[in-house]
Formats: sequence, structure tokens, C-alpha cells
Amino acid sequence: MSLLDEGLRTPAGPSRNRPHGNVAVLRAFILLLFGVLTVRLADMQILRGEEFAQRSRENHIVRTNILPTRGLITDRNGEPLVKNVGVYSATILPELLPDSQEARYRIYLRLQELIGVSPLEVQTRVDEAIAAGRDYIAIRIATNLPREAALALEEAAVDLPGVSLEVTPGRQYIAGPAFSHILGYIGPQTAEEAKVLRPQGYQLNEPVGKDGIEAWYESDLRGQIGYTAAEQNAQGKLITLLGRQDPVPGNTVRLNIDAGLQQYVAELLQASMADNGSGWGDAKQAAAVVMNAKTGQVYAIVSIPTYDNNIYADAQRRAAELERIQNDTVTYTLLNKALNPAAPGSTFKLVTATAGLAEGSITPNTSFQIGCSLDIKGENDVIYNYPDWRCHNMLMDVRAAIAWSSNVFFFLTSGGDLERQRGLGKDVETSGAVLAAWARKFGFGKPTGIDLFGEAAGRVPDPQWKRRTKVGEGFAPGENDWFLGDTYNTAIGQGDVLATPLQIARMTAAIANGGTLPVPHVADAIIGPDGKVVRTIAPQGETIDVDPRWLQVVREGMLGSVQYGAGARAASSKTTVAGKTGTAEFFKPDGTKSQHAWFTGFAPYNDPEVVVTVYFDIGVGGDKAAPVAGKIIDYFMEHVRP
Amino acid sequence: MTSVTLGNFGRARARTSFWRGWDRFDYVMVAAALALVGCGLALIHSGSRPWYDGPITSLASPVAKQALFAVIGIAVMLGISRVDYHRFLHFAWVFYALSIVALLALFALGSTAYGSTRWFDLGPVQVQPSEFAKLAAILCLARFFSEHGGDARDVRSLLLSMAIVAPLAGLVFLQPDLGTSIVFGGIWLGIVVIAGANRSHLLIMGAIFLAVLPFAWTFAIADYQVERVAVLVDPNEDPLDSGYNVLQSQIALGSGQLLGKGYMQGDQTQLEYLKVATKDFIFSLLGEEFGFAGAMVLFALFILLLMRGVRAAQLAGDTAGQLVAVGITMLILMQTFINVAVNVSLFPVTGIPLPFVSQGGSSLVSLFASLGLLQSIVMRHRSYRQT
Repeated sequence: MSLLDEGLRTPAGPSRNRPHGNVAVLRAFILLLFGVLTVRLADMQILRGEEFAQRSRENHIVRTNILPTRGLITDRNGEPLVKNVGVYSATILPELLPDSQEARYRIYLRLQELIGVSPLEVQTRVDEAIAAGRDYIAIRIATNLPREAALALEEAAVDLPGVSLEVTPGRQYIAGPAFSHILGYIGPQTAEEAKVLRPQGYQLNEPVGKDGIEAWYESDLRGQIGYTAAEQNAQGKLITLLGRQDPVPGNTVRLNIDAGLQQYVAELLQASMADNGSGWGDAKQAAAVVMNAKTGQVYAIVSIPTYDNNIYADAQRRAAELERIQNDTVTYTLLNKALNPAAPGSTFKLVTATAGLAEGSITPNTSFQIGCSLDIKGENDVIYNYPDWRCHNMLMDVRAAIAWSSNVFFFLTSGGDLERQRGLGKDVETSGAVLAAWARKFGFGKPTGIDLFGEAAGRVPDPQWKRRTKVGEGFAPGENDWFLGDTYNTAIGQGDVLATPLQIARMTAAIANGGTLPVPHVADAIIGPDGKVVRTIAPQGETIDVDPRWLQVVREGMLGSVQYGAGARAASSKTTVAGKTGTAEFFKPDGTKSQHAWFTGFAPYNDPEVVVTVYFDIGVGGDKAAPVAGKIIDYFMEHVRP
Repeated sequence: MTSVTLGNFGRARARTSFWRGWDRFDYVMVAAALALVGCGLALIHSGSRPWYDGPITSLASPVAKQALFAVIGIAVMLGISRVDYHRFLHFAWVFYALSIVALLALFALGSTAYGSTRWFDLGPVQVQPSEFAKLAAILCLARFFSEHGGDARDVRSLLLSMAIVAPLAGLVFLQPDLGTSIVFGGIWLGIVVIAGANRSHLLIMGAIFLAVLPFAWTFAIADYQVERVAVLVDPNEDPLDSGYNVLQSQIALGSGQLLGKGYMQGDQTQLEYLKVATKDFIFSLLGEEFGFAGAMVLFALFILLLMRGVRAAQLAGDTAGQLVAVGITMLILMQTFINVAVNVSLFPVTGIPLPFVSQGGSSLVSLFASLGLLQSIVMRHRSYRQT
């Protein structure tokens, strides 16, 4: 016995006393504890059981998305303009890297050998990601790897923990720079786009169309995402495949564009940029629209300069090129010039002529003796002199005026001379307003509705607009009044009026087809993966409220222009061309005066099929734009015409 | 006095036939325990599938190992039930001293896992001294009270009894093993209540305990324990770290719903989201695969077993036997409660196995040893002694 034991023994203590404890309390305690556990268990398994069952499913069922094959884009003959390619990227998942810095650096060095990335840069990015607690998100360290490098990386990745090769769907634009403005490009979603696209079922890694047809027809091209559902264990290993939903490939978009024509026009414009003796200098920008005269189907729409839209997919390596086109403030490469407004010059006289005939300020037989300019006696007998672009010295009706592009004739048609000849309206302001209304009837001042992004509305000035706009700083009081000169300027497409080449083409189409203003469409049809047409993009158009007789008179004038007038150089050996030249004065950013060159026309004269509009930022319409239009019509008649 | 007792019983035993007393052997208690072991074997089989795919007859099989330990445990139980429990009471202080030494030695020689040093690694087997210490504490407390008038009515004996348990509980707490030290507390409380402790004394002590708790929280409880309590409140707070086991056991249990997902069909278990599914979290495995219904069956078996333990206390021929029976019942009750409470997230993770069910040899053998003690008490109860 221990000392402790001895010391504690009480005198009364027999070791075999009868038990006296009441064990009922023990029974109650047992039942109490199990009661507590049962209540808790009932709460978890019965009341909240479904919630936990759901979490259990989420725990182990992983859904892996399979991105669909994006639909192709073809020209009107089915020739593909794009190709789907795999984009190879090297990624690092920081949490899978070895723990020791030294082992990590060995991996970075190996990556330098394989794909030429700087180890220090990789290290910085990995360390930053770890510091920010994002070590479970893969970092893309190099993208657009060449195929050989990608294969080498894939082989080596087995021994490089954390490194892997990622293949994402990409696009290669195979038709050349002439198509860049039409096709646009695809790229990763921006944060703002992701917010909009997520509710539509987009995955974060899914590329989206960014511009052009790629963006406009995104929902047709995308297809439907597929997925596999698999059971995954706690280590992240996939155990069994539970289900699979195959992705549905996107639809093909067939364009109205004729690839050959588009390419031809782009090359032709490019080759015609140099100054051809006008003395105004080389053109820097140009645009052309070739369109079905009745339906508005766009056969070619070209903007110069062009660029290679494959740059976006390879932005990392071609950063300098991308930088250059994105910050181009001289020629604005990325801007589609066909959708960008400029002073339309004399092409606008077609609107003035139609307005004059319709409003009765002239008749088909009205003739004026046109000299070198028009003198108008203003208040206090001040004589204002409005010059023509050259001395005509002949008696002209409206047909001849269109053919020779007389300014004075259309001054008289639009604003009158305040004495014998009346204008479109009863006074100066009304004439301006009526002319503006006719411009709007022909689709000016608002977008045409073409299936491309970035289209400008242009501008149609009228007295109200002027009153509203030309006030405040930089304007003298009363400068916002509408003067006779404003009507005159607008009548010949100068001053404040602005129109896009596409708007000019559309107006020309309306005149050519007898009064229907078509909505231009680049795309023709959506075609399913099985080759069947899912839907066609139906031609749309609105009928202009104008007597077809007046349009016939205007067409006769346009025929004259090409046959004997200012647009003679647009003549084609293959068909009869009718058209109108335009040479619009404008001030360059440096303040010096220059001229835009325009030509818009249609062919064949008797049954118009095609409208061609050509624009150069610098040049003279008859010299520079007209010959190009003639060649385009030649090509069309020979190669495109069905 | 003690030596006389020993002498008497030594002779009595010599004269007793081997078959005497077996008619009083508590077969119901053993049946309940074996049913629990059977449940355990089935669950271990299911829970070990992700990491063991060998034949079930191999000794490497966790099921076979557990069955082997059960056989050893039953042999130990039968052996002990043949021995008069007074013989163990006689050596109570020796056991006590051995326990203290073993627990101290653990700090120098023990194996550490999950930041806690709880056992000796003796080649094929691991010995957990705290299992032995729990029985030693029960024997010492029973002996102490039986030698002091058989009750704990006066403060002096109450405090002394506490002083007996405190060193053991304290050493276990330092391992650290919060759960087992609470089991010690439960054993002590059960024994002193049955030994007739004054209710007001207990209330005062309880009040003092609650007053000291905040300081203990700050100074004596390790950070990991604080964290475990914190994740208990909201396991989603840190789902990939400390909260992981808690969260996964909740999901496993809850997703079992009323009838469970079916045997070997629990995806939380089979896909290894549930950790230590055959040991500390075997109850979650049961809950997932057999649902609320399965848990109720298990509870019924435990309640049956524990009630047989209470019966042993009621039948016990003397105070010492009664208190030993109470202590053992409390031991099993507290371990079961804490283990299930951990599984249902009412208690922080402490690493206490579910008695008779969880995989683990030393726990199983020592539990059968305690059942042997209970049998020894039942077989020598009052009516038996009077014949």
C-alpha cells in the first residue's frame, strides 16, 4: 500500500460496504445524451438532408465544357474566308509547382529552351499570382505557339509539374487583308462582355466575335456548347463518365461578297492611290462599295488601308503592328472608310435634281444659260458671286447639268435666284428644309442598317440644325441663320453635308431601280452544319415617294455624264454605265484645301444590276474615281454577274 | 484488511468450478457489443474500399485485422470476467503509477500524428497509454470511495477524488487530447454522482470551472483547438483547411437523409471526400450509407449496451463494484457521445474513436477488457455471493 493510501484511510471504512447509489440518474443521462444526438441528426439528415445531398452531388460531379466548332464564313460562291485552328498556349498552374525555388527555376529555364520565354518574367508572374492568393488559376505564359514548339512542350510537360499545354479554338483569316474590315475577328471576352454573355450560357474561356461579321452574326456562328459530366474523387481524379452532351457546331455564314471582286477592288484602289496628275497629292484613304442595285446585296465593300486581322490572335508577338494600327491617326486603318462620312460633293446633285423636278422648281425641259458663275443681288444691292467649277458657257437642261456637273444649275434649282427663278421652297429657309427632307428620303443622315458595326449616320444640315448647332463660342451672333449660300452649298454636296460611301451607293441604287431604297446586306444566308440553309437574309427596302419619271430624267443625266460628260472615264467596254462624279472641297487638318474624289454609278443602263461607288480622300472625281469604277464594272460584268 | 480479502478470494476461486457463474454472465451485453463490432466490420469494409482492394481474408485487410482484434478482445474479456474484480482493485494504485509513467514516457518516446502524441509505436501494434489510464482511473476512484465510507458526501473526499483524476487528465490534455481528458472528467463526474456527492458542492465546482474556462481558453488550449472550435461554428469559413473534415462529414451525414445511399454507395466516402472514414468519422459513413434509420439502429445498440452497464452497477455486490461499473458505463457513454458529437459537428474534432465500431485494435481490446470487468461484477453480484 502506498503512503498516500494509508494516510487517507478513514476509521469507518470497510472496503465491502453495500452499494447505495441510485443508478436511475445514469439511465436518464444516457437517454438525454442520445436524445441530443438524435435531434441534431434529424435536423441534418431529414430537415436539411436535401440541401446536403445537393452539396454532395456538387462535390463530386464535375462538368467539363466542350466548346463547339465555330461556324465558317464563306463568300457568295461558298469559298471559305476563315479557317478554324487550334491555338496552342503554355500555361503554369502555380499550386502544382514544386515547393523549392530552385526546382521552380529549373522549370523556368527549361521553358526558356522550349518556347523562349524569359525565366525572370515567368518567375515574376508566378510569384505575383501566389502572393495574390490566385495560385489555383493557370497563368498563360505564352500563346500562339508554333506547332512544333507546342508538341515539344507537350512531351516535356510530363516532367514539368504545373506546366501544361492548352489548346483553345482560334480563327485564321485566310482570305487576306482585303477582308479584314468585313470579317472582324474573335478574341477573349472582356470583363464587360463576360457580364452580358454569362447569362446567355457563355463560358469564360469561349472566344467571341469582336467586330465585323464575326460579331454581327455571333449567335449564328457560335453553335451550342457541349459538356461531359464525370464523377471526380477528392484528389481530383475522374472516376466515371456520367453523361455527355455533344456540342453543336456553329452555322456557316455565306456572304454576298464575291471574294474575287473584293480582292480585285482592294488591289485596284491600292494601285490607284498615287496622284495621277491632278496636283492634289497621293490619296491616303479610299473606299468602294459594289452592291446589287435592286436588293442591296453587297458584292464588295473595301476600305483602304487594309490590315491583317490575324494580328489580334497573335497580339503578344505582333504587339508593335497592333500598336501601330490601333494608334493610327493619319489613315485610321481600323476605321471602315465605306461607313465613314465625308463631304459627298457633286454626287449629291442627284438628290438636288430629283428634288427640283419633284418640287417643280425645274421641269425636265427647264434650261438655263450657264456661264462661269452666278451673281446674286443681296441686301443693299451687294452682289454675291457664286462660281461654277469651270466656265460652261452653254444652255443646259437638268440632264446636261448632271452630265457636266454644273454647280450654277443646281444653285438655281435648289435656292433660285431670289428674282425670276424660285427655289425648292417659298423662301430661303424653306428651300433648305425641303432639300434636307429630300436628302433624308434618300437615306442620308441616318445609318443604312448594313450588317456591320461602326456605321456613321452622316449629316444633313437644315435651318433648324444650323440654328441649334452654330451658336456659342466661336460663332458670331446671327451666324446660325440659314442663308442662301447654305442651300447652295448643300445642293452641291459641300459645306456641312456629310455622307458615307455606302449611303451614296444606296442613293444611287434607289435612283437606278426606280425608287426603292434598299438596306445593304453583307451576309446572304445562314447555312447549317448539314449544308441546308437555315435562314436567308431577305432583301429589305423602303419605297421612296417619288414619281419614277423624275428618276428616269436623272438616270438620263447620269448616262450623259459617262457618255460625254465629266464621268466619261468610267465607261466600260462591256456594258453601258451611267454615273455621277463628285469632287468635294474640304480643309485638311493642317488648314490647307484639298479635294475628295467620288464616283457613283450603275450598270447596265437599261436594266440596272450593280451599283458602284468609289471614294478617294484626295483627288478629282472624274480623273481618279471614275476610271476605277469603270474597271470594277468591267470585272463585275465578266466575273461576277450571274 | 486488504490482504485478508485477497486471501479469502484466492481460496474461494480455487474451490470454484470453472462453470460456476456463467449462468449469470450477461450475454445480452456481449451480444450488443458484438453487434456493434459487426456493424463496424461492415462499415470498415465499405470505408476501406478506396484504399484497400486486396482479399478480405488477407491479414493486410483492415476488416480481417479488426476481426482478429475482436477475437483477442473477446478472449481478454472472458479471461477478465473469470477474475474477481477485487483483484484489480487491489492493484489499482500500481496501475495508476504505471499509467502516470507511461503518459510521461509518451512525451519522450511517443509517436506524433496530426500534431498530437498519443501512442507508442511497437512495430505491428500501437499502444495508447490513455486507454489503460482510463481503466486505472476508474479502479482508483472506485477503490478510494469504497475505502472512504463509500460516498463522496464530504468536500474532502470529493476534492481528493478529483486530485486522483487530475494528473491523468492533465497529462492526456497535454498530448494534446482534449477529447480524452473530457472523458476522464465524465468518468469522475459519473462516479462521484453515484457515490452521492453533494449537489451543491458539484454546482459550486461547476461554477468555478466555468469561471476558469476563459483563462484556460487563452493559455492552456492550443491554437489548433481554438481553430477547430471556430470551424465548427462555420465550416464554410475555411473549407479547404481545418473546416474540410467537418464540412465533408456534414455533407456525408446530411446527404444520407432518411434511408441512406445504400451500402458501399456513399459517394462522399467512396470518392474519399470523407477522411478517416473507418476511424473517427465512421459514424458519418454509417449516416451516409444507411441514413437516419441506420443511425437509430446503432443508437439502439449503444443504449442497450449502456443500459446493461447500468444494470451491472445496480447488481454490483459492493460500492467498489458499483462504482467500477458506473465508471466503465460512463467511459463508453462519453466516448460514444463525443465521437458522434464530432460527427454531427456539435463538438470540435478531437480524435476519439467510436467504441466497438471504429477501426483500431488497442481501443477494441481495452473496451472488451472493460466489458470483462463488468461481467466480473455481474457474475459476482449480491445474490451470487449469498449462495
